[in-house]
Amino acid sequence: MRKLIVSVGVIAVLLVLVFIPGKKWAREHVNYKTAVNDHSLNCLNCHLYNSKSPLISKMVNRDYLSPMNIAVSEDGKKLFVTAQDADKLFVIDAAERKILGKIDVGRKPHSVILDNTGSNAYVTNQWSDNVSVIDLAEMKVVDTLSTGNGPAGLSFSSDGKVLYVVNSYSSDLTVIDLASGIEITRLNTGNNPTGIQLSPNGKDLYVTARRAVITPYGEPVTTDLTLVDDQSRRLKSFLPVESAYLMENIAFTPSGDLALVTLIRPKNLLPTLQVEKGWMMNHGFGVIEQKGDGRIIQLLTDEPQAFYPDPFDIVITGDGKRAFISSSGVNMITVIDIDSVRNLIAESTPEMLSLWANHLGISSRYVVKRIPTGANPKGLALSPDGKYLYVAEHLNDMIGVISTETMERTGEIELGSSSRVTVLRRGRQLLNNAGRTFQTQYSCYTCHPDEHEDGLMYNMASKDMGRNITNTQSLREIGDTPPFKWSGKNQTVYKQDGMRFSTVLTRTEQFPYNDLDAISSYIMRGNHYPPNLQFNPDGVLTEAQERGKIIFERTRDNNGNEIPENNRCITCHPAPYYTNLKFADVNTLTASDDSILFDTPHLNNIFSSPPYLHDGRAKTLEEIWTLYGKTDKHGMVNDMTKGQLNDLVEYLKSLRSPDYESGNSKIQKASFNKE
Amino acid sequence: MKKIVRSNYFKITVLAVMLLGALSLGFILKEKETGKEYTQPGMVVSLPDDLVKRAAIPGLPAPDDAEKAVPVYGNWKNFTTKDGLPSDKCYCVRVSGDKTYVGTHDGLAVYEKGKWKTYTSKDGLSHNGVVSVDVSEITGDVWIGTLGGLTRWSAGKFEIFNQFNSGMPNDLVYMVICDGPDVWVTTGGGAGRYNTLKKEWEIFTEQNAPMHEPWTYGVSAGDGKVYIAAWGGGVIEYNPKTKQFRDHTDPDGFMEIDLQPDDGLVHDITTATSYADGILWVSTYFGMSRYDGKYWKGYFKEDSGLASNFINFLRAEGPCAFMCTDNGFSSTNGTNWVTYKKNENDANGVAIVTTGGVKKEIPQSPSISHNFIIGVDGQDDVMWVATSKGVSRGEKLKL
Repeated sequence: MRKLIVSVGVIAVLLVLVFIPGKKWAREHVNYKTAVNDHSLNCLNCHLYNSKSPLISKMVNRDYLSPMNIAVSEDGKKLFVTAQDADKLFVIDAAERKILGKIDVGRKPHSVILDNTGSNAYVTNQWSDNVSVIDLAEMKVVDTLSTGNGPAGLSFSSDGKVLYVVNSYSSDLTVIDLASGIEITRLNTGNNPTGIQLSPNGKDLYVTARRAVITPYGEPVTTDLTLVDDQSRRLKSFLPVESAYLMENIAFTPSGDLALVTLIRPKNLLPTLQVEKGWMMNHGFGVIEQKGDGRIIQLLTDEPQAFYPDPFDIVITGDGKRAFISSSGVNMITVIDIDSVRNLIAESTPEMLSLWANHLGISSRYVVKRIPTGANPKGLALSPDGKYLYVAEHLNDMIGVISTETMERTGEIELGSSSRVTVLRRGRQLLNNAGRTFQTQYSCYTCHPDEHEDGLMYNMASKDMGRNITNTQSLREIGDTPPFKWSGKNQTVYKQDGMRFSTVLTRTEQFPYNDLDAISSYIMRGNHYPPNLQFNPDGVLTEAQERGKIIFERTRDNNGNEIPENNRCITCHPAPYYTNLKFADVNTLTASDDSILFDTPHLNNIFSSPPYLHDGRAKTLEEIWTLYGKTDKHGMVNDMTKGQLNDLVEYLKSLRSPDYESGNSKIQKASFNKE
Repeated sequence: MKKIVRSNYFKITVLAVMLLGALSLGFILKEKETGKEYTQPGMVVSLPDDLVKRAAIPGLPAPDDAEKAVPVYGNWKNFTTKDGLPSDKCYCVRVSGDKTYVGTHDGLAVYEKGKWKTYTSKDGLSHNGVVSVDVSEITGDVWIGTLGGLTRWSAGKFEIFNQFNSGMPNDLVYMVICDGPDVWVTTGGGAGRYNTLKKEWEIFTEQNAPMHEPWTYGVSAGDGKVYIAAWGGGVIEYNPKTKQFRDHTDPDGFMEIDLQPDDGLVHDITTATSYADGILWVSTYFGMSRYDGKYWKGYFKEDSGLASNFINFLRAEGPCAFMCTDNGFSSTNGTNWVTYKKNENDANGVAIVTTGGVKKEIPQSPSISHNFIIGVDGQDDVMWVATSKGVSRGEKLKL
């Protein structure tokens, strides 16, 4: 017994001796790794969930489905659901709420529509730049139609002979002749378009856009709706929607008198101090009158002290009485009474309508219900009899079923994915949810749609108002590119999204550590760049890109003089992230900036991130040097000919995800396989 | 030596050479005969003999085509600032559907349903000096070349491309054309191609193309090739598929006279190219050239119906080419001609019609608005010409 006590005592002493310095070491290690001194000691987070090892990643993570959009068969018996992360189209028995089949399509399927005979489905594959044509009787892909870059929304022409495909990344509209399957023309659209809808009279198509027209900071945000004449297959006009962006989808009333488009009203020109006053981000919809001069009236779905961010899809009931909007940032469906909207517009003067566009109290006039859903509701579809609203619960891997009569979620259709919510999945849910922002005013997604960036410049609240205007940076694959922010102030994602984040941006309690770990893990390891199919589909550079690469890596200027090492492109922007993770002065500091060096940004998929430079002053890659590189501080450029600058820009546009750069190009190539 | 002369091999060789010579002579004689046959009886005014002779040599339209008259336009309606144009200095004209686009020194004027509407830099144009306009057949977008950049006018929205914000070679745009999804510009700093699908610029200068210097004036496309009128460099033929160049220059060099007729381009200072019906037409400040892919043919004021050797611009439609000169407006199918000239002292003028060597003058009242012509375009039976004193609209006459 005595021996046992001694042994236990010795072990206890040893443990104490190990534990105390061990804990101290661990504390220092965690402080160092997180750049904060209050993060909990959670070894698993970094060493398991943030691990880059494919084996560990496979062990701790799960494959999810992420349903995106839904189509319903004309008889209402079947649902067709694009599962974005499974690269499949799910076919579901609506009555039995059972899966009838899963059809392999291309990468990241976005939208689905059915032809008027119900025999074919068309699915846009956003990461494959094509449309899968599916024979529904055979339940298989029978053809693949080429599109522009990032196909998303779809519509048929009124005569059914043409398929319109919205190319969300290349900002244009592919027009495909269905008889031949060939693209007959490609029309220019607004910036980053997604949704498309044919008017009930079959004359016009409206195409939504997410990103605003690029303007200098200080000018109001304007985003273009694109109006297409269906008969001529030509553009009709662009409808500028002022002070709004992220217009995801659009729907018409059955009578065709109104079109309703989801939108967000950013207040990016105000310091972010205004969060408490409801003046950072507002969410709502635009009403486009089809009569007269086509007024566009904007109304909010937000309320005082409660916001309903990230409106995604909108559908209108067959009787034209109700509109349903998926408020994806708060897991809600917002129900709008359309007659109330009509009455409000009819009784309001233009001045009053202008006021309503920012009025948090006016939504009580037309919002009749908020219906809770599973995580991150995206695409919506009504059953043909109007009794059910189907909701693609994007991060819940279910189809929510809502009774339009009781306006309650009465059930769900399980799509059969893992019931376990992994850390990365949790992180993704958090990133897409506004629950941790003051009065749920916005989510991370709001300014970082699809984990990217919204193309706007912001006046982030700091001790000096109006200073340090910053261009939103992408969150894609930034895990290995510390420090963060243009100033490099935040050495880690933990610091970026911790206390400082809550102080400056969310204006409420900071994330609990588990949530902070989850969102950090997702940002660092969970989100990926789309393949650069537009400029570098297979890793083989074009002649111009090859020439540009030589310029990028050159050590001597055109006169044969050696370029100082710190003034070569390759020095500060080496592969695979195209950043040396160091600070630099490229002579772009303005009078309104604090005197700082800038964190060298990574350049992967840089083509998709205009505008450029820390304050977004360069609208294009060319302008970085033609307008803002006159001193040769941002690389030696002034000896170059215009042709050489063009080649350099073409090379920059070819840069892809680090995964592809490091030789793991399977994913990219797979996207070209025709199913 | 005697041994060689007596040998059968020598005899056979001499016989073969003689036979070949005789055959060649036959060809030459046949050409001459054809030339004579081509001469029509009843000429009012005879054309120079050499022109008649050359009318049937390779490189010219077949005699049957040559018989075809060149359409004559009249009933001119002239538009100036009094009618709503922003400026009388009209640089270009383009007709598309029911709209006519006129580029002027002070903006773009659009004629539709009998009314003019002007667009300037305040509306979004990159510059008010509009020198070239083309309309994409596949998208309907209007591309506007100006003295300060390129503008895409798409469904009412103006988008500016310039040398600072894009891969445009230079802001001084002389001409823009749409060729399928490609938009070509010729500028003071080289030619450029913008692929609207890939959103990618490619530029061509003396550094990567057989040009004399980067100054390029005109461009046209046809049968899968692009023809760039390069100042001092003749015509640069480019095949976008093979990425191969072929330059066409004046074999006489920089001389202002054409030493050897029809040996190639008449001069290296080219102002425009236009390709239609398998024929490339090239205008220079020293005459005009026609190229059928094998033979060149030169035209000068002195030996044809051309109004002047100083040609600002030309456009070909079907078998005819329309030339904008500093002293009148001409059209030809390679053999027959119509030239329009305004009287110096009044608004009237004349159309000088030369068909089959027969020349006759048709009085026109009014005539075109000025003899300094810079742009031309037509559609159906209507012809527009842009002059330094307004723009003129003519209708095809039934003669």
